[in-house]
Amino acid sequence: MKKNLFMAAFAATMCLVLSACGGAAEKLYLFNWIYYIPDDVIEDFTKETGIKVIVDSYASNEEMYNKIVAGGGGYDIVVPSGDYVSIMIAEGLLEPIDKTKVPNFGNLDPAAIARIGFDAGNTHSVPFMMGAAGVSVNKTKVSGYDRSWSIFDRSDLQGRMTMLDDMREVLGAALKTLGYSVNDPDPAHLEQARQVVERWKPNLVKFDAEAFAKSFAAGEFWVVQGYAENVFIEYPEEKRGDVDFFFPKEGTPMYMDSFCVLKGSKNAEQAYKFIDYMLRPDIAARVSDYLMLPSPNVPARALMKVTPNYQFSDLDRGEFKEDLGQETLKLYNDIWRRIRVGN
Amino acid sequence: MKRVPGSSGAQGGLYAAPSIFWLSVFFLAPLAIIVAYSFLTPGARGGVEWTPTLDAYRAIANPTFAKVTLNTILVAIGATAITLLIAVPCGYYMARSERQTLLLMLIMIPFWTNFLIRIYAWIAILGNEGFLNDILLATGLAKQSVRFLYNRGAVMLVLVYTYLPYAILPLYSTIDKFDFSLLEAARDLGASKLGAINKVLLPNIKGGILTAFLFTFIPIFGAYAVPLLVGGTESYMLGNLIADELTKSRDWPLASAISLVITLVTTIGVLLLLRANGNAVLGGSGDGEPAVSEPAAAIGGSR
Repeated sequence: MKKNLFMAAFAATMCLVLSACGGAAEKLYLFNWIYYIPDDVIEDFTKETGIKVIVDSYASNEEMYNKIVAGGGGYDIVVPSGDYVSIMIAEGLLEPIDKTKVPNFGNLDPAAIARIGFDAGNTHSVPFMMGAAGVSVNKTKVSGYDRSWSIFDRSDLQGRMTMLDDMREVLGAALKTLGYSVNDPDPAHLEQARQVVERWKPNLVKFDAEAFAKSFAAGEFWVVQGYAENVFIEYPEEKRGDVDFFFPKEGTPMYMDSFCVLKGSKNAEQAYKFIDYMLRPDIAARVSDYLMLPSPNVPARALMKVTPNYQFSDLDRGEFKEDLGQETLKLYNDIWRRIRVGN
Repeated sequence: MKRVPGSSGAQGGLYAAPSIFWLSVFFLAPLAIIVAYSFLTPGARGGVEWTPTLDAYRAIANPTFAKVTLNTILVAIGATAITLLIAVPCGYYMARSERQTLLLMLIMIPFWTNFLIRIYAWIAILGNEGFLNDILLATGLAKQSVRFLYNRGAVMLVLVYTYLPYAILPLYSTIDKFDFSLLEAARDLGASKLGAINKVLLPNIKGGILTAFLFTFIPIFGAYAVPLLVGGTESYMLGNLIADELTKSRDWPLASAISLVITLVTTIGVLLLLRANGNAVLGGSGDGEPAVSEPAAAIGGSR
């Protein structure tokens, strides 16, 4: 998941301002994705428990990871995506999770948990939200399309389509188009995937993970690959009906962001209280309403007031992005560089 | 230089201490880190491992990098040339105008708005659904919207726009000091209007042209945000490559090596230009000028 960097900087400043006031005895340091948990949810946690939460935000897993590895922060909780959960477990950066301290863990959808490969059995992570990048189509401009990745083959939409500037998402889409796994390590399959992306590339305006949502909202781009929460945060609500957001039928790379307790956390007890609070049905429903995303929290689904931008069942053909390992990652990097640079 | 009175050695050292401190802490030390990193092995997930290797430089020899470097050089040279072509007449006009303060203000005003917001403004103007296309469609000049953005031309346009003030200001201050009666003298002695400008004005303001060139070429060579926002699938520049290697591929040695190449190219370029500036005309495209520039320089006493 990748969020807008400029907003991140702004929100980070706001967090500093907000954290300057108040003064409870118990504290909790949370390092979270930008715009992931609404402020009032965190304020209510402080009201209920008296634990003051100091929030810092990041816009990408890499940013979070680099800061933690560099020894920065002193945070208690981080919210990495699946591939980074396994990386951080391997690097010994995470504390094992004591599930007896998270009684609400049982609220999570067993079907969703069963698909987790990055931390099978959830020894070090507690799932928070899951989703995937899909394709958004401006229906007032584009018609007669198949809900498939092949929409990027349409040369009549040349100059009106973007894909994410994200190797895993774009290569993942190509791999799924070919019927392979989004974590496929086979060089021959990756070469085929590269050719698929090269076929799409002339029809794309650009690879963009920062500004595409604004331009999509302005009618500038008509077909964009992106996360629903990023696309719709920019989109005027009254024109929401003009947009068809779908997950291509071939399947998509999926993310799962999970709460993890960092090794050496000084406030582990408070961290467990916070994680359990976030898994409470009413709280999970508020978060999902805010993000307009379906909840992996089963009892929360009935409590939601907003219709999410897609349903959980839509993710049936999705596949979690797993850590590729050094050798395969290098292969992906090389192929992506060739695509980006143009041979 | 030699006019410093007294025991120049000790005092000079004292005067220089703050700037030496500043340069070593904020320039030399970071540069040393970049040099060191470029010869190390990339860490498993970012960072470096302390095993020396030349892998990063081997990777640079790859044709993909040559292509990006070539693209970057083309964009940088093109954008700088256009910037200078616009900036010289602007500086000249400002220097001769009676409303210099007003014009200076007008040059500065864009700086009051954030650089990124000004790029987004260009997107609003030139976009597929932008103001310009609205006008073209409404007046029937175009049947369907024209794609102005997301190509190399758009990148150059926005770069020229961004760095124009940095070129105009040094040119203005140099031209302002120029003795315009020399132009009249040249005309009296039979030079054509263009000839007077070529042989008297330009040689005398070459210091300003050099400064303007450096102020535009160097930042454009390392441009990152502009190609990212208004560039297309083919507008990748070295700045983007460094950012991607650092944050996405997490190959810090490679990013360091590319940065170092940029630093070296710019340093060598600057040194060559400074040397050329010693006795020849900078930016004079023809070969015949050096002979004329010397007397002109003697009259004007350019820097």
